[in-house]
Amino acid sequence: MVAEAVPRPAPRGWLVVLGQELRDLWLGGRALLLSFAFALLLSVIAYLVATNTDLNFLEQRESVNLVLQAAVAVGTLLTLLTAADAVSGERERGTLENVLLTPVSRVELGIGKLLASLSLWLAAFAITIPYVWILGRGVGVVGNAVLVGFVVGSLLAIFLASLGLVISLFSGSNRVSLSLGLFLLLALYAPTQLPAGARRGWAGDLLLRVNPLTAGEHYVGRILVDSHSWTKDISWLVSPVLAAVLFAGAAVFLSARFIRLPGGLER
Amino acid sequence: MRRCLLVALLAAAVVAGPAQGAAPNLSVQVDRTAISTTLGSDFSFRSTITNRGSAATSPLVAHLNILSLRPGVYVDPEDWSENRTRYLAPIPAGGSTTVPWSVTAVSPGSLGVYVAVFPASGEGRPATGPTLKATIAERKTIDSGDVVPVAIGVPALLGVLAVGIRLGRRRR
Repeated sequence: MVAEAVPRPAPRGWLVVLGQELRDLWLGGRALLLSFAFALLLSVIAYLVATNTDLNFLEQRESVNLVLQAAVAVGTLLTLLTAADAVSGERERGTLENVLLTPVSRVELGIGKLLASLSLWLAAFAITIPYVWILGRGVGVVGNAVLVGFVVGSLLAIFLASLGLVISLFSGSNRVSLSLGLFLLLALYAPTQLPAGARRGWAGDLLLRVNPLTAGEHYVGRILVDSHSWTKDISWLVSPVLAAVLFAGAAVFLSARFIRLPGGLER
Repeated sequence: MRRCLLVALLAAAVVAGPAQGAAPNLSVQVDRTAISTTLGSDFSFRSTITNRGSAATSPLVAHLNILSLRPGVYVDPEDWSENRTRYLAPIPAGGSTTVPWSVTAVSPGSLGVYVAVFPASGEGRPATGPTLKATIAERKTIDSGDVVPVAIGVPALLGVLAVGIRLGRRRR
């Protein structure tokens, strides 16, 4: 009796794209290099927090907050940089034509590339855990820091990766895509540099709440530094959640229409 | 001669006039004059402003200031207290108002904290309260020795991983 070979179902298109993108990112060395730079930055901040007398006045909770906020800011920046390269990079390297010839829908292409860029945030978060643990142990803040960092960081990473992908869809070159992405990111972080007085009042409060990055970082600070419960300041998570959902939806929707190669000789 | 003297006296009165504001009738007291705490801790105190005059004061401004009693310590009062200026309603004759202050100990050492009260019109001299002497003990919150292994180990591990993957790809 001969057993009939059961054909294995073909993997879904976005999984194939995700696998290929992850191999390119991680085995190609780019993601590891970025992660290495990220770890170096966290090391410098953690060392300064522990040794510099001006920074060491910080209460331990504030030290954890400082490192976690830096990790979220830079970790999500990595996803933006990777996503901003996703389509414009293929266009620039002349590989988009081959990608478009594969039997994978453009929506699945967009989803695969988006998820692959989010792997940078997951790696950055895993790298952050030892720093949070070493700085926050003994004051019962590590568990909360890891959880709130993961939740807020993931929301911001989804938002920024989606934003990067949208920018990449409409950019002819990586230079345009990366500079526009960085400019937007800096603009989003600009309110954190406002003096304390400018952040008070309804206008300042609204500005911080509407901006997903400042709202997310504010929420992290309230939980870690002020020991608020997760529900007390939950309204601060509205804009990060909305931004993550809306921009992820927009990235997938626009991928279906705008992952394309302009015709003609010029590319 | 008498006329000249009269003019001089009048001029002196005009010049000295604004300096005779509400402040001489105000007294500022604090509920403590010394505190010892550690770096990074919060402490609070209350100042009571009393109108000892026979008429109500004009609106007042109370201001908190902090300075180091020893040279070589940088103190930025903005870091110590977020809300250092308070605008107060007029105080009736014989009345008083109490203002609470919250302060975070940002630098170690001996520091002087005081409250000054001005008429909101900007005229007159400020009335200042007694100095609250704050002794801030240094506190090392994190042991730098514990951080070093992580600060070196994590990037080193990632570096080794990156080199290993690159070498593995070359061999293939």
